[in-house]
Amino acid sequence: MFDRILIANRGEIALRVIRTAREMGIECVAVYSEPDARALHTRMAHVAVPLGGRTPAESYLDQDKIIDAALRTGAKAIHPGYGFLSERAGFARRVQEAGLVWIGPPASAIEAMGDKIDSRRAMVKAGVPCVPGLTDPVDDPAAASRAAHEIGFPICIKASAGGGGKGIRVVREPGDLGSAFRAASSEALASFGDGRMYLEKFLDEPRHVEVQVLGDRHGDVLHLGERECSVQRRHQKLIEECPSPVVDGATRARMGAAAVAAARAVGYHSAGTVEFLWSRGEFYFLEMNTRLQVEHPVTEMITGIDLVREQIRIAAGEHLGYGQDDVRPRGHSIEVRVNAENPFQGFLPSTGTISNLRIPGGPWTRLDSAMYRGMEVGLAYDPMLAKLIVWAPDRAQAIARMVRAIQETNVGGVHTGLPAALQVLLHPAFARGEFDTHFLEGLTIQSPEQYSDLVAVAAAIHRHRLARRRALSPKDSARAGWSARTRNELTGHVQRAGSQEVSQ
Amino acid sequence: VKTFVEVNGRVREVELVERLGELVVTLDGRPIEVSYEEVDPFGQVILLHGGEGFALSIEGNGQSTAVTLAGHRYDCTLEDERERAANLAARAAAKGGGPVKAVMPGVVLQLLVAPGDEVEEGQPLLILEAMKMQNEIAAPAAGKVKKLTAQPGMAVEARQPLCVITPQA
Repeated sequence: MFDRILIANRGEIALRVIRTAREMGIECVAVYSEPDARALHTRMAHVAVPLGGRTPAESYLDQDKIIDAALRTGAKAIHPGYGFLSERAGFARRVQEAGLVWIGPPASAIEAMGDKIDSRRAMVKAGVPCVPGLTDPVDDPAAASRAAHEIGFPICIKASAGGGGKGIRVVREPGDLGSAFRAASSEALASFGDGRMYLEKFLDEPRHVEVQVLGDRHGDVLHLGERECSVQRRHQKLIEECPSPVVDGATRARMGAAAVAAARAVGYHSAGTVEFLWSRGEFYFLEMNTRLQVEHPVTEMITGIDLVREQIRIAAGEHLGYGQDDVRPRGHSIEVRVNAENPFQGFLPSTGTISNLRIPGGPWTRLDSAMYRGMEVGLAYDPMLAKLIVWAPDRAQAIARMVRAIQETNVGGVHTGLPAALQVLLHPAFARGEFDTHFLEGLTIQSPEQYSDLVAVAAAIHRHRLARRRALSPKDSARAGWSARTRNELTGHVQRAGSQEVSQ
Repeated sequence: VKTFVEVNGRVREVELVERLGELVVTLDGRPIEVSYEEVDPFGQVILLHGGEGFALSIEGNGQSTAVTLAGHRYDCTLEDERERAANLAARAAAKGGGPVKAVMPGVVLQLLVAPGDEVEEGQPLLILEAMKMQNEIAAPAAGKVKKLTAQPGMAVEARQPLCVITPQA
């Protein structure tokens, strides 16, 4: 086993990896950019190495700096977390060439699954069900239009080298195809340096159901059941749960077998996720995420398996040591992402300084968070601040527990998506398990009218208190002038805008 | 002191009078019994009303204040009488047109209209990129593009004017 590893990431996932590694007796090296100098992950690691630089490209994406930091600190392996360099096959190779261990899948598997078109071909060959659509990407609107008419509307346009919901557009009317294609293609070009697009049939009442797989370096691959991730907006997930309310035991076994076949087809080891589109009882392969997922904790909660621990053990060459029948999921788990976004204004990004933090607790309530009082939330990084996760014996109790946990929570200084999550959790259709990936987009996020009077009164009193505190504050110029006058020192201390302080 | 508080799209009038160190509160002309207790100086508050205590989280600068109660967040806009008169006059002058402002900090990626263009309500004017997502900024009203202050590649702050629309007569 490694005695020291480097975590090439930031935020809650860096902390998540550090926590398990510390429990395994492994020392942790954190890396950080200039804006993250005070971030939680730098404080909870054994060693923190500054990468310098303000942008991701100058820090968390700078492969040279990260490999150099690992070599200098004597780290034996690198865990990439999710995002940043986690799905860069070239980086995985460079890590190994530098004599370090890559805590993740083989570079060849990342490559095979990284291209939507190549992966689709491989999946068709492996007998994994796929959505009707193009097998070759197109790069101009005219070709896209011809292909779209063959497949039939509605149609989904996706970046060939995409991920994270970027460069994806849905087109319902043939007339909208041109502008949507240009927008998606330029977004893909800007984000991934590849403007080629892939077209496929858009399925109705679709649900996003994904299967967690785990494989070791000795050929053992198994699945840990599915996650339901249909509560999302513009392909950015808000609520995830495990198990899915629509997947029964027989279907779970079929999906699990398909996911294992997908992983085996590319020689996969480590933790990975096979995403399926679920539509009216049928499931189709979407893509495989060759990394740890944001929503991995819901699987951990019902299986009792620490996925980061398994990743590290697998990377160190250990056997899984258990089989499919040893995986016994229990109860129900829900995760809510705490994103810095304003659900009352179309989920626009929200920036600010974290204040007035109230952290939830209680039985079976887990908070994977990078938040601290005074943390600056800017636009440079992913808006996800934390994940709130609960477990309960059944779905109804899990929903009730999550509602309770959200009601305990407050994140001041920025807007978060929590009020939207609360509204979803309290919605009768969600309680019945009847929702698809359009559910969240169809909701208008509102706060109940019953509290409006009290809120108005509280806000007015708060304003009154603020004004009074300001008047009494020793820093305030009005107060300084007033107190100076009473002490007959007016000529001495009063500082005016634009002038130097007058000294006696 | 009279304060106009906009919550959930409706303006309420809250009057606070300090009498013998106690706050006497009137809501829309009716007296309301409340007691406001600060738990800490950071924004944790207990509001007592009708024999019940409500645990609130409050943040804000007095003009725009967020109140969170049992997980529900209320964004309030507050004005005193003087501010209300000034803001009402400014809104009347703009008549639905006026400057289109950036809703968030970001970078202007592409302009979709030119000065002098006639635009429909909801027509995309430009593309603003923030957090690697492209967002179309739409015209708030039908009219003519009077001025475009935004340029491709320009970094903008939230509420920075991007474009001025003269509303249709």
